[in-house]
Amino acid sequence: MFKTEEMEINLGPQHPSTHGVLRVKLRLDGETVVKCTPIIGYLHRGVEKICEDKTYFQGQVWTDRMDYVASVSNNLGWAEGVEKLFGITVPRRAHYIRTMLTELNRLSSHLLWLGTHALDIGAMTVFLYAFREREQILDCFEAFCGARLTTTAFRIGGLREDLPPGFIKQVQAFQDRFLDCLDEYETLLTENRIWKKRTVGVALLNADDAIALGVTGPVLRAAGNPYDIRKAFPYAAYAEMQFDVPTRTAGDTYARYQVRLEEMRQSHRIIQQCVDGLPEGPVMAKLPKVLKSEVNEVYHAIEAPKGELGYYFVGEKGSQNPYRMHVRAPSFVNLQALPKMTEGKLLADVIAAIGTLDVVLGEVDR
Amino acid sequence: MAASFLRTLIPFDIYGGMKLTGKYFGKVFIQSNRQKKRTHFTAEYPEVKVKLAPRYRGRLQMIKDEQGEIKCVCCLACEKICPTQVITIEKGKKEGRKTPYPTRYDFEMERCIFCEFCVESCGFDSIILNHQFELAAYNREDFSHGMEGGFQNMFDVTPVGHYSVAEDVQ
Repeated sequence: MFKTEEMEINLGPQHPSTHGVLRVKLRLDGETVVKCTPIIGYLHRGVEKICEDKTYFQGQVWTDRMDYVASVSNNLGWAEGVEKLFGITVPRRAHYIRTMLTELNRLSSHLLWLGTHALDIGAMTVFLYAFREREQILDCFEAFCGARLTTTAFRIGGLREDLPPGFIKQVQAFQDRFLDCLDEYETLLTENRIWKKRTVGVALLNADDAIALGVTGPVLRAAGNPYDIRKAFPYAAYAEMQFDVPTRTAGDTYARYQVRLEEMRQSHRIIQQCVDGLPEGPVMAKLPKVLKSEVNEVYHAIEAPKGELGYYFVGEKGSQNPYRMHVRAPSFVNLQALPKMTEGKLLADVIAAIGTLDVVLGEVDR
Repeated sequence: MAASFLRTLIPFDIYGGMKLTGKYFGKVFIQSNRQKKRTHFTAEYPEVKVKLAPRYRGRLQMIKDEQGEIKCVCCLACEKICPTQVITIEKGKKEGRKTPYPTRYDFEMERCIFCEFCVESCGFDSIILNHQFELAAYNREDFSHGMEGGFQNMFDVTPVGHYSVAEDVQ
């Protein structure tokens, strides 16, 4: 009697819940998603190709603009990758400051995620509280390097300048109140029945699928696999830090929320250790005036807030530019899991799935 | 079973959230404008400007020494290191000056990414990034900065275009 057919709709690229310019082609049967195809490339700038034409010093500014909410992590990956390529040893104080700033950046990235993800699902209040704390972190970045988002924080071989006067006090003031703020978010969300209805059992991804798709970061850890590059292949000063890698086994949106919140507590712990044990000394290694590479290749991975961020460099003999530069961007790889998470589920859960993957489109398209 | 049923019936979770919201509402209601200490996190921007950090990276500006002489000696270090090639320098000479003198120093702000590499590379402290951040303009020419002749001034903290909300209010 009734004629039914499947319908195809576009979610995005201007939809506010897709966090940028992600376009998702959805094939719907009623409200159930039959097929989900993410279409990317609206923000492609050719960063990898541009960096082939720039020196190792200059290329760092393009890493700011990949994952623009976690630019310090991106800077760290670039700087450490190039240092690995040339065999430069960085002073210990620089390592500590780098670790502190990267963890602050992880907090700011997770806070942005918490605010916007809750906003997508329908909890408006958390957004305002999360941005209040993020503001304080961005003030710290501004005091250290003069910019809030596009930081260009590090240099090859260390840091440009030492910490500004009063910086430690500023970080400590943030540290003192942050744990209370985390409790406030938990009060608003963790036991909230609407939040639980929208997240528990939504966008499931088990550990085997996650590994097969190459998913890393909190999404993998929420599926039960404790893979964290800070523990597995320690870089910067992480070998000297004490922290736990939080895991959950459920593999749903609620588990990822719990993992990220616990990660924020661990970041708080690491920052406190950096502040307490900050060594004295220089912040810049002795460098030759012009870096010139021999032919060799390097892959350096760090744990960005979204997952494994890897930089692959191929040097050219006598050249100041990389012959080839490739970025293994966590958001790009994690986005592959979207069809697996959403097919056969409801349309409204696609929004939760995009939010919980924490993709930044600047990094997906590069 | 009974406990979970009671938990469903009595909304403790909603109560917790409302209590937090109520706490902040009451705090603002009682404390606002009564304390000298800043308790809020926002600023009423056009009227009140936030204090910037000393290292803030704003517009590129050339500075002069005590005699009013340009410090730049045309070593082209800033031109070379600039990732987006926004600086163009023309080397020249000036009477009564031993070091080279820039006859042209063009700065195309529309492409500038404010990374401060130029200031870092400068060995003579002749350029700085000042604290100007309201850098919007209606015309493309307003973004071209230079030493003289049809360009915006490189030496003073001058408005780029007719853009500033703060000035309209005053």
